[in-house]
Amino acid sequence: MRFDVYTPLLVALLLSPAAPVIGRRVAPALAARVLTSAAVLTAAATTWSLVLLTTALLGDAPPVVREARADGHRLADPVPEVIGVAACLALVVVVWRVQRAVRAERATRRALRRLCEGQPRDTELVVAASAVPQAFAIPGRPGRILVTSAMLSALAPAERRVLLAHERAHLAHRHGRLVTAVTLAAAANPLLGPVRSAVTFLVERWADEQAASAVGDRGTTARALARAALSAGRARPSCALNFTDRAVTRRIAALRTTPPPPRWPTAAPVLALGALAALFAADATTDLVTLLSDALT
Amino acid sequence: MAGTGSRGRAERRSAGELESEVLAALWATEHPLTPAEIQSEIGGGLAYNTVHTILKRLYDKGLVLRDADGRRGAYRPAKNAAQLTAEAMHEALDRGPDPIAALQQFVSGLSPEEERALRNLFAGDGV
Repeated sequence: MRFDVYTPLLVALLLSPAAPVIGRRVAPALAARVLTSAAVLTAAATTWSLVLLTTALLGDAPPVVREARADGHRLADPVPEVIGVAACLALVVVVWRVQRAVRAERATRRALRRLCEGQPRDTELVVAASAVPQAFAIPGRPGRILVTSAMLSALAPAERRVLLAHERAHLAHRHGRLVTAVTLAAAANPLLGPVRSAVTFLVERWADEQAASAVGDRGTTARALARAALSAGRARPSCALNFTDRAVTRRIAALRTTPPPPRWPTAAPVLALGALAALFAADATTDLVTLLSDALT
Repeated sequence: MAGTGSRGRAERRSAGELESEVLAALWATEHPLTPAEIQSEIGGGLAYNTVHTILKRLYDKGLVLRDADGRRGAYRPAKNAAQLTAEAMHEALDRGPDPIAALQQFVSGLSPEEERALRNLFAGDGV
């Protein structure tokens, strides 16, 4: 208990610097899946650890102490009261952050559903007559692709096929779910923020690779990205958001080299880290249950 | 996975995917297109009859219109629904804090240096 309960926190600290390395060295499909799984396991484990540390405060509760003393038990208190109180406060913050993230996800879903209202049921492409170049996938049944007319007219025929294949890959491989899962994990544990950024970038890379193999040409795929990004940039000269991550430039650079292989030996340790966090949290639970039942019987 | 030729790939595209491509081609240009023009635009060894069938399906759904005053047999996209979609999209984008940021957008923004670098990179390709 003394040691186990803090391990998930350590795992979260290790996962963040590992995420970009895995992202560079492992095929995006495998890297995104492994990182998301590890992040979800770690977030669940750290949250549970906070619950355990908060529960340990019960050991300080006067009735428990009195009863234990009356029975002649030596009460081993594994968690200093300060840490217990801090964990309790942290837990409140976690619950609030997760709630906020869930609300944001729901709002997005609602906004997207509204965009598809009135569309024929079996149509994949939804066009918006807008001068702002935009394109995104709308998950659901059926999944749809929303593209603005400005984006379509900015691209050459082969590049339009890249765009459609890219968005189709997001839908076919349920990237929306993956991103939602890692977003909630990062909401529960802010230390996992870098893992979330890595995964959101990796699903784009994943879709790029799928598009490249669908059209059979990495050069055309890179050109489609460049042209779309350049026309989007022209349309919003004042918008300074997301410029720091250089995502499009990195994706284009990746398409101009050979894609990284799946490389399980590099990806497996990440998954092991997540499993480790869960195992230690489970172990800490057993310790706490033993401790409390010792004190109470 | 990669196709051996454009013909092979075209045959593997599903009816729904081809529908998207035809619709995208019609939206990409200012003027109405005939089935033959669409056929050459999309490429990939698509049969003329297939293009015709797809256009018929899009017409039945109300997504494309026959060009009445222009050339015979030319089609253009139906604008009304697309304008409503655009309004709904901008409304969603403007409401903030940024519901669409959570989505997988095809591209994000570029910094001025990135823009210069990209232009240089594809200078010969007419990007």
